[in-house]
Amino acid sequence: MNAVTKFTLLALASLAWLMTGLPARAQTVYQVTSAYHHISVIDSSGYRVLSFNGSWESRVSLANPLVGHFEYCELFHTPWLWNPAMTNVLVVGLGGGSTQRLYQHYYPFVNLDTVELDPAVVSISKYYFQTKETARHKIHTMDGRVYLRRTQKKYDAILMDAYSTGRYGSFIPYHLATKEFFTLASANLTENGVLCYNVIGNLNGFRADILGSVYKTMRSVFPQVWMFPASDTGNVVLVGTKSKEPVTLAELEKRARSIAKDKVVTLPNFEKRVRAFRAQPPANLSRVSVLTDDYAPVDGVLTGTNRR
Amino acid sequence: MQTAAAILLVFLGGFAVMVLEIIGARFLLKDFGGAFYVWTSQIGVVLVALSLGYWFGGRWADRFQRARFLTWLLVPSGLFTLAIPDFAPRLIDALVSRHPADADISLLWQKLDPALGSALVFLFPCFVLATLSPYMIRLLAAQLGNVGAVSGAVYAASTAGSVAGVFISGYVLLDHLGLSTIFRATGGLTLGLAGLCLWLDRALARKT
Repeated sequence: MNAVTKFTLLALASLAWLMTGLPARAQTVYQVTSAYHHISVIDSSGYRVLSFNGSWESRVSLANPLVGHFEYCELFHTPWLWNPAMTNVLVVGLGGGSTQRLYQHYYPFVNLDTVELDPAVVSISKYYFQTKETARHKIHTMDGRVYLRRTQKKYDAILMDAYSTGRYGSFIPYHLATKEFFTLASANLTENGVLCYNVIGNLNGFRADILGSVYKTMRSVFPQVWMFPASDTGNVVLVGTKSKEPVTLAELEKRARSIAKDKVVTLPNFEKRVRAFRAQPPANLSRVSVLTDDYAPVDGVLTGTNRR
Repeated sequence: MQTAAAILLVFLGGFAVMVLEIIGARFLLKDFGGAFYVWTSQIGVVLVALSLGYWFGGRWADRFQRARFLTWLLVPSGLFTLAIPDFAPRLIDALVSRHPADADISLLWQKLDPALGSALVFLFPCFVLATLSPYMIRLLAAQLGNVGAVSGAVYAASTAGSVAGVFISGYVLLDHLGLSTIFRATGGLTLGLAGLCLWLDRALARKT
């Protein structure tokens, strides 16, 4: 065996060792750069993940599409507590379609509209996440605010889940978090309508000023705003109701039991999710200000501060 | 002294153009959504304005040869910019609302609408600000022998102003001021440039 052969064999062996040594768990199934993000679809440890610029936007179990989603998607079921007879729901932001999938499965009678800005996300969601556009689920490829401004429809619930993601984390598009936006959304809600806002930020300091600002801004339009923090990720779902009536956890648990008994909501974890309810506002309300179209530094100073 | 004033003029002109571009993109976002086409439109429209401004600015400089002439452009442009917060929202609203409601806007219009909106609001003030550079080159170049140095200095100052405009708008102004305040301040700055042109006109007249 000469040196060259020896070297070749050694190189081949190293390559083989490297290949077996590589984790087979994470595999990029598809990737594309759209006008907005570098989007990847990754299969990892039995889950399929939708990633924008490296972040995790959506996750679903490859074995059972009804599990594996992030917890905030289940917090999007809280509007039923205020209206057990919802028929029209708008979701702003598609991603991997977790929210839509759960709504289509558990409430097949509900008319869903989804607004998604990025056409690439719509096709990826349909192809890789089995998001279904049906007679009761229409996807509109446009900006959420532009859609709300033009539609004549009234919704029982509007679920806000639109984010843009960069190298330094996720940002709320500022025009979807201002007083003018919530006024527009409120005008498109039915009498007892509810708006849910998935806010990336939490009460322990991480982007707390964003959470506080969005809370305060929603409170300037909706008579009541409640918080439902997720336990698995740093998200809080803010629930703004057109109903002026204050509620308590005991009252909501009673409603949850009642609508579960009537088979309105059959989501397995529903009563557990309701217990995430927090009546008290965030502690930083006096420090933050209401966001307006004129002044909303959501991607600037507000993001930089991670304090309580 | 006159040279310093002219250099300051093109520096501030370049600054104002980029404040209008960056803050303008933010302003258009809420009406046209998705940042990408808004940015594409805004950059394209501002470059069109610059191109036209250079062309006409150079010709007008040859024809009028007095800095005073620029006040006739800068005063209307300053007043226009001051009024952006008052007229632009209604103008853009009309543009967005012209599509039939309850039908999705075609992808073509989703792309072109922000360009139209941007042109209606930002083409004129950016055009006027762009005329300053060729105009100043004509006024400062005493003889053919120094045209290279003069035009180089004017380009450099105007671009340096634009660089400052980009970073100050994006990193500082957006965090601390409302959009309407920034537009009004830029309008005020443009009127200030008109005043500077009047001073420059007299200073250059004395010199000859």
